[in-house]
Amino acid sequence: MPPERPPSAPADARQIINVDGVTRRFGTLNAIRDVTFGINEGTILGLIGPSGSGKTTMIRMLTGTLGPTAGRISVMGEDPMRFSRRTREQLAYMPQLFSLYPDLTAEENVGFVAALFGMSPFRRGRRITRALEVVDLLHARRRLARDLSGGMQRRLELACAMVHEPSMLFIDEPTAGIDPMLRQSIWDELRALRKSGKTLLVTTQYVGEAEYADRVALLAEGELVALDDPAAMRQSVFGGEIIELETDRPITPDALSGVEGVERVRQLAPRRLNVVTQDAGRTTPRIVETLSAAGINVLDADEYQPSFDEVFAELVERRRAERREQSGEHTS
Amino acid sequence: MRALGKSFVRISSFIFKEIREIVRRPGVILSLVLGPFLIMALFGLGYTGARTPFDTLVVVPPQTDLPTDVEYYRDISDAQLNIVGVTENLDEGRAKLASQEVGLLIVAPTNAQEQLRKGEQSVVTVEWNTVDPVRESLAQFATSTLVAEINAEIIRQAAERGITLANEDAPEPITVPPETIAKPTRAETANIAPTAPTVIGFFGPAVFALVLQHLAITLTAMSMVRERLSGTMDVYRVAPVSSMELLVGKYIAYAVFSLVISAIVAALLIGVLGIPLLGGWVPFVAVVLLLTFASLGLGLLISLIADSERQAVQLSMIVLLASVFFSGFVLPVEEFLPAVRYIAYALPVTHGIETLQQAMLRGEISDTWMLWTLGGIGAALYLISLVRLRRIMRRAD
Repeated sequence: MPPERPPSAPADARQIINVDGVTRRFGTLNAIRDVTFGINEGTILGLIGPSGSGKTTMIRMLTGTLGPTAGRISVMGEDPMRFSRRTREQLAYMPQLFSLYPDLTAEENVGFVAALFGMSPFRRGRRITRALEVVDLLHARRRLARDLSGGMQRRLELACAMVHEPSMLFIDEPTAGIDPMLRQSIWDELRALRKSGKTLLVTTQYVGEAEYADRVALLAEGELVALDDPAAMRQSVFGGEIIELETDRPITPDALSGVEGVERVRQLAPRRLNVVTQDAGRTTPRIVETLSAAGINVLDADEYQPSFDEVFAELVERRRAERREQSGEHTS
Repeated sequence: MRALGKSFVRISSFIFKEIREIVRRPGVILSLVLGPFLIMALFGLGYTGARTPFDTLVVVPPQTDLPTDVEYYRDISDAQLNIVGVTENLDEGRAKLASQEVGLLIVAPTNAQEQLRKGEQSVVTVEWNTVDPVRESLAQFATSTLVAEINAEIIRQAAERGITLANEDAPEPITVPPETIAKPTRAETANIAPTAPTVIGFFGPAVFALVLQHLAITLTAMSMVRERLSGTMDVYRVAPVSSMELLVGKYIAYAVFSLVISAIVAALLIGVLGIPLLGGWVPFVAVVLLLTFASLGLGLLISLIADSERQAVQLSMIVLLASVFFSGFVLPVEEFLPAVRYIAYALPVTHGIETLQQAMLRGEISDTWMLWTLGGIGAALYLISLVRLRRIMRRAD
């Protein structure tokens, strides 16, 4: 079931991150190629792509731990390589690698990060409790980090990232290697943060998690393949809404030629078709009517929600085809 | 047979895995092979094996007719004594011995001829100033050799003169006992050092310095490696924390821990083993603080250059090995070639051993330059670590 959509960021929201034509090379390897995007304040940008697509490189450039080879990056109005101390106090970073101290308790780990960001001991106590509450680890506050399960450790890292109440959070692969139930709960926590006005950039290799973000940036082989909100991206990839039909006898796409609103038809099986339309609500009755007139009964007609895996695969395939075409043009 | 074969395959999987892991860490191999080899090579090339002779001053009282020529005494002394001068002033000689400008003082008898006329042995007073029991034994041995040489010389001279020991103006011949003829002189010795510790008492401060350095190094050597290899360093890079804050925080934490352990070890040395603390707590604490500061710097530098925890451990062990060989812990630094002594003086423990022995066993630190050097090593290591950490913190690539 798709998650409840968070309220969109206001139209006049300030752009908090601006990435302009950024490239990062490691020797001969182009880890990031000419990427441009922006993030509005109070939104979640899901940076999605398979392993090695350049997500962590991008997040490192945004946090100022890695400089771009070319292009310009601005985060909260500053070049990340020259972040002021005040700006750093507003940032949080949860790295992909384990960053906790195993011999400290959950509470001590969170307290350490709070102190690292300059929180006074007087303010710290309440914030530590609150952060542990948010990630549902208050009951484990006195347990050593090494004794927590993998999922609890990841949640503890999230508590560490949010304890100093940052306005911008960079979360690198928070759900990597975590079971689906826990992934859902981590995303719930991220969306709760977003609701409280924080801006989040979250990377994930699970394409299906794109649904949880306000906007999705798809990275593949260091290139930005697409950038849009999840619903629009899905629609744009397949050219509109999709109706999946199942009939009582074999049928061909020609049977629907001339039906108003039908833009494209794809044969899935002898008795199954996919129909692309701009408005599934209006077109479905027309299809049923046309087929009935031809003596074909429609057993099932549902709006089909393609998974983000399919969307992603389609987008990547298109980009590869474009590249092949471009290289073909160059060689000819 | 088949089970044995499978067992062999399983064992071989570990063999190849371990070998591959080791081979792919060239730094580890380098420190594993080259480190000890280099130390042994330097030791072999740099250790002379020759005991440092005592710088010796001869006091010839003015009323004697003994020669005052340095060369004369050089001729009759053996290799263990390095005659640096002859003086008539006993007070001046004793002052030089007290300030350790010379290591041994030989006071010639004032009334040798008169004693002999009376048929008595004359007394050569030999004084030294050392807290080292090994050096004390050497001084005793050197004195025996010296007295034997003097006696032989007197007998030779007497034989030349027809075994007439009496003064030509004497009204009648004198009778000299055979013992006096055989040994016309004897030595009376004294060690003017404020304390004459046992072997345990002498080596106690050295062991303490070595333990303190090794403790500080091993505590810190791993701390940054772990953070560099995990995601923690990335959190530091993003956080508003500077390299200096990070380094100072580490220094203080490990210093507190090292000093607590040092206090316990010191209490055991002084309270249980009875090693004296003649200089009081102030110079002792000063040396401990400086040695801890310098040793923590060395450990932190190791943790900032090592590419794995394994290499950090190896580098710490190499420092320990070098410290045992070159610091004066076992063999005096002076017995190494001058070029190799620079290695010794680059080690914090060399200065720690010497100044702790002086503070505890002599009551004052005469080699104050060693305290400055210790502070200098600590400051240099801190600065190098800071520069290295800044570089690590600035960029992830």
